[in-house]
Amino acid sequence: MDAIALQPQVIPIFATPFGVAVVPEADVLNPPVAALLAERATPERADPANHQPFTYRSRDDLLDWPDEPVRKLCDGMVAAVRSVARSINEFSDAQFASLRVQARAWFTLVRADGCVPSNNYPNATWCAIYCVAAPPTSSTRFDSGVVRLHESFRPTMFTDATNSVPQLPYRPGHNTWRPVPGQVVVFPASVTHEIALLRTVGELVLMTALVRFVAPGQTGMPWW
Amino acid sequence: MVEAAVRLSSQFAVPFGEAMLTPCEPLNTELEKLFLAREDDAHRNPTPSHIPQQEVFESRFNLFRWPDPCVRELRQFVLDAVTRTVMSATTLQPEDLARLKLHNHTWFHVTRYAGSFISHNHPMASWSAVYCVRAGDRVPDQPESGLLRFFDPRLGANSFRDPANAQLKAGFELRPLELRLNEGQLIVFPSYLFHEVTPFYGSKLRITVATNCWFF
Repeated sequence: MDAIALQPQVIPIFATPFGVAVVPEADVLNPPVAALLAERATPERADPANHQPFTYRSRDDLLDWPDEPVRKLCDGMVAAVRSVARSINEFSDAQFASLRVQARAWFTLVRADGCVPSNNYPNATWCAIYCVAAPPTSSTRFDSGVVRLHESFRPTMFTDATNSVPQLPYRPGHNTWRPVPGQVVVFPASVTHEIALLRTVGELVLMTALVRFVAPGQTGMPWW
Repeated sequence: MVEAAVRLSSQFAVPFGEAMLTPCEPLNTELEKLFLAREDDAHRNPTPSHIPQQEVFESRFNLFRWPDPCVRELRQFVLDAVTRTVMSATTLQPEDLARLKLHNHTWFHVTRYAGSFISHNHPMASWSAVYCVRAGDRVPDQPESGLLRFFDPRLGANSFRDPANAQLKAGFELRPLELRLNEGQLIVFPSYLFHEVTPFYGSKLRITVATNCWFF
């Protein structure tokens, strides 16, 4: 068959938003926050549902903490979510300002051989993960401590050479973000994700926030 | 007062087959010895689909073509169980199945401390199965060590939760299925299901055999 040269317009559809931002003053705020989190990583403040001995997860009351450095970082996380949400919608300034933010947050300390199992979060729209501190990368384990967002589905179980390894954003497979101190990532809370096993010395310190927006007069928001 | 007579049924269900090799210890002992003897570069999968971990050895996908008697015995057990699962889950009759050839890719994994396998599924196959040769030791303070976790294929179904769907009965639950395999246990499932092996924290070996099957 003779090849006919066409120039089709190819666009990604069914895209998933994934935002990365740098929180202002992070380099100043991170050290005192890391110290504070280490000090408060006590059994009394732990999430009782966590079963990972090499990983500490706090209760989700981080947004209630009065400590200024923590508040600034939390504000930065929520601001990142607001920016991502704003960027993919067509709200007017007034419409967007009328949305009331509901959020909850916790912190996680991942130690050597620790991980956070695959999970997603009901009743929330957005998940934000902020990196307070990260250990050096592992020379033997490429995915040590990365946040891995699962490819939740394949559009097909039928593959051939042309749909197995195409270029991004069409390439099948998971997506990873290596935590960088000062950076926050934002993605849909429905996306299953995990923190891969940390195979290096040191501690990965993360703060996670779940965020949703309530429109004026909106009813039917479930408890969380 | 009008009472609605409701008949509850299961739709969009995912078929799972399970079989137990009894006794399994003699065969598993032979398999373990054979696999460990061939845990080398000559038998390592040269084209892994995922970036390998040094804590997990993955063999080539030709395991069921090995002539060793213990492998042949396992092959018969596994492929028979897959066939029986297909028979149970489909409307195919034995004579229909007899006209089809069962193709397979089959390999073994040896997992050591900190080994895991990320979430994946198996395109270009219809049925997959995992057989447990060695379960590895249980770690009391690591209840999630070395689990085979299947993800719910109903994407987004758990995103809205209220009290009326938070405690669904078995079979309707909106959460992953987590299995701790026992030695001699075989699980058969549709190849489209995403699944992973959680980090294994035992000090012994976890050894499994996996197969992908398709019929033409």
